[in-house]
Amino acid sequence: MSDAAALEIAERGLRSALAAGARDAEATCTIARRFSVRARDTEIDKLEQSTGRSLALRVFVGEPGKLRRAAFSTSDLTGDGIETIAKRVVEAAHHVAPDQFAGLPEASGSLEATNLEIDASDVAARPNDAKIDDALTLEREARAFDPRIDNSNGSYVADAQVTLGFANSNGARASYDSTNASMMAHPVGRDGDAKRTAYYSTSARAWKDCEQPTKVARRASSRILAMFGAAPIPSQKLPVIFERDVASAVLGDIFAAVSAANVAIDNSYLADKIGEKVGSDLVTIVDDGRLPRGMGTSPFDGEGVPTRRTVVFQNGVLKTHLFDTYYARKLGAQSTGNASGGGIGPNNFYLEPGTIGLEELIAQTKRGLLVLSIIGFATECATGTYSRGVSGILIEDGELRHAVDGVTIASNFLTGILPGIDALGNDLRYDSGITAPSFRVAEMTVSGE
Amino acid sequence: MSHDLDAALLQKTLAAALERGGIYADVFVEHRVSQSVRLQDSKIHEASVGITSGAGVRVVEGDRQGYAYTDDLSEKALLDAARVASLIARNGARIDSADLREIAVKPRYAVDANAQENGLGDLSTYVAFLGRIDVAGRAYDKRIETVNGAMIGEVQHVQIATSDGRLVRDTRPLIVLSAQIVARDQVRGFASYADGGRTSLSFYEKKTPEAIATEAARIAVMNAEAREAPAGEMPVVVGAGSGGVLLHEAVGHGLEGDFNREGTSLYSGRVGDRVASELVTIFDDGDIENERGSISVDDEGTPGQHKVLIERGVLRGYMLDTLNGRLMGSDSTGSGRRQNFRFLPIPRMCNTYMPPGESTLDEIIRSVDRGVYAKAFAGGQVDISRGDFVFMISEGYLIEGGKITAPIRGASLVGNGPAIMEKVVAVGSDAQLANGQYTCGKNGQMVPVGVGMPTVKISSLTVGGSALQ
Repeated sequence: MSDAAALEIAERGLRSALAAGARDAEATCTIARRFSVRARDTEIDKLEQSTGRSLALRVFVGEPGKLRRAAFSTSDLTGDGIETIAKRVVEAAHHVAPDQFAGLPEASGSLEATNLEIDASDVAARPNDAKIDDALTLEREARAFDPRIDNSNGSYVADAQVTLGFANSNGARASYDSTNASMMAHPVGRDGDAKRTAYYSTSARAWKDCEQPTKVARRASSRILAMFGAAPIPSQKLPVIFERDVASAVLGDIFAAVSAANVAIDNSYLADKIGEKVGSDLVTIVDDGRLPRGMGTSPFDGEGVPTRRTVVFQNGVLKTHLFDTYYARKLGAQSTGNASGGGIGPNNFYLEPGTIGLEELIAQTKRGLLVLSIIGFATECATGTYSRGVSGILIEDGELRHAVDGVTIASNFLTGILPGIDALGNDLRYDSGITAPSFRVAEMTVSGE
Repeated sequence: MSHDLDAALLQKTLAAALERGGIYADVFVEHRVSQSVRLQDSKIHEASVGITSGAGVRVVEGDRQGYAYTDDLSEKALLDAARVASLIARNGARIDSADLREIAVKPRYAVDANAQENGLGDLSTYVAFLGRIDVAGRAYDKRIETVNGAMIGEVQHVQIATSDGRLVRDTRPLIVLSAQIVARDQVRGFASYADGGRTSLSFYEKKTPEAIATEAARIAVMNAEAREAPAGEMPVVVGAGSGGVLLHEAVGHGLEGDFNREGTSLYSGRVGDRVASELVTIFDDGDIENERGSISVDDEGTPGQHKVLIERGVLRGYMLDTLNGRLMGSDSTGSGRRQNFRFLPIPRMCNTYMPPGESTLDEIIRSVDRGVYAKAFAGGQVDISRGDFVFMISEGYLIEGGKITAPIRGASLVGNGPAIMEKVVAVGSDAQLANGQYTCGKNGQMVPVGVGMPTVKISSLTVGGSALQ
């Protein structure tokens, strides 16, 4: 696949928008070649392979300083298809109020994808048969781990090669290639009369940076066995350790609160906290769009602004929110290169790790709850109120004692979680756009029996 | 419709799909147009238009499926997709695809022929609705700080051709008007409320934009006054309408056919068993006119149906697509759905609800000495192997001494499906479907669904607040 096809489609979209009457426009075309396979037991039962293309456009009509904006996306890339929808979107823009902050970003810096290492040659090179073997290995090793692991939701192996082409009416032209690869095991075990399931996954830009299938499968199965015999505990206040993967989910809630799109409508507990120390000294959170091999790494963001490294929290002090061009202008800041899909998204948004392993973190916890899985998703971004269903393991005297499920944990980001982070693990991995090491919060409310 | 593929081309694609073997193949062709307008801070902020257009080819052999999609609808691209999908097949059996014949569909929703833009309605109507949201939201209370909203409309046209000779078409409208409001008192209070369905814009003559904005504003102000939710086990009264999220999570997902055929659900192999209190009856229904979760046909061409999942506490059946139905010796229940042409269909819910019982809301509230009235829900999630689920309160109150007292902040409720269903001790006579705002995610695929419920009392449920007794 070549960069040229995506860039050519983006330029065609840009020309159609300008011909339809847009003053300014921006076009992004992605072409993704995707492969995925699922194994269950000794068979491959799903195999999917396709090349998908899509074109996204933003158009601005009217006078500078009073532009009206509209967006479109389409998978109909025929010449007529693009021209027809370009006309419709320009018409649609006339329904929008003039907005002094709307418009393309000012040209700024290089859009070259150098030293980012997001395009791995081993993805295109790896034959389908090898990926099929990996899926069968995941399934086999997950079940071989223990006789009580006797079923599965399937083992998945997937990869993609993506080309992105970008053009705007300020003369920006750029394209880049990227790859991603992932594996997941999702076995089911028999705990007496009950079933329990857990999963473990690995993802990276290159196959060589993924964890080995045998390790992925064993970690998934060991997560199930760790939960055998789980039961609720009485309601109480406890220190809570979030294991790495669930810690990343907590960081996702922090990202939502620093997104300028939420800040601008006052739907964020961090809206008026810039410069304040809202977290403990251990809270240093970074958004880095240029981290080599990062899953959220790219040379430029969704509107062609070069990505950068932004320190969001420094030792507990909130330094900045994260912006695209529109919200930066509206709130009197600079874009941090976080434009994504018409909104604001993370690049590599992560909590800086500490120096001790999860085992040491547990050993340093006299009594507490190690959380291994979370269900539910509603955090009140306006107030920071946090409540989730969890399962995990009760820690007593620095040792894992017995498995716990059917309970919730609750706190508030401003008054409990951010100031309460009192220990960090060293187990951070950059396997998605939002990541965190294991960490401990000094006290949360556990609601159970 | 002009976007339909020619039957001869579909026939040729099916033939190519079965060239290497397999027992079944289908082609799913989609052309979807959507448009939306967003209101932010009292201004029309942005408009957008989207086209989703393409086709997916599936080949089935036993429990194995091969799939490929293409956004290019040329003969060459379709035949290429068919050949990639056929790589799953290895039996080499040469089954011929039957001659396609058009199957008439009983429509469960009408696309407004008078509306412009292929039934989507004129954008100026969307803008007017959002203007009314803004005015009504701000007028509700002086503590209202920001009013945002969105109006989204789409029409999805699908064409499904199967190797057993069925050619089915469906045109599905879907509209939703939403308000997101922040109020400020001692703390910020946020609320989001939306309504719509598979219907035309005349829907908003009965459910007005003012009614939607007022409901969001009312909950936002309530949340700005709310105290911490309690922690611990206590009686919970689940509100009529959106309380149906409980059924969707605690029971519905566990009865989807794929999990039961694969034996990963705690409900696997339990048809005929008692799995809930005798007060509990649960339906899933794709065949309700104009509801958000309704489908004239599913994404495999099977008509949407009314299904009895649980009848007076006894498990009656699962929700099946064609693959899992065949492997379990049953017919599809019209539950095979997909997000769009880039995905294989999987068993999904449509509109999941409980019919009315005999209690009144007053009787139920009066029977609780200390507990929570969870009136409305933002959503939920479930682990289908264990049956543990959560659902999240978006509007809740304390019940003290048989009376509704203070509003409480959002909290998760956690329980185990079958255990909680045994603890249903009262069912109200006030059954209703919730406002049309829910979307269900499974295996990375999002589809619109409906939920419904009468007021229900659960004798004991864990409330995930931070205020310890």
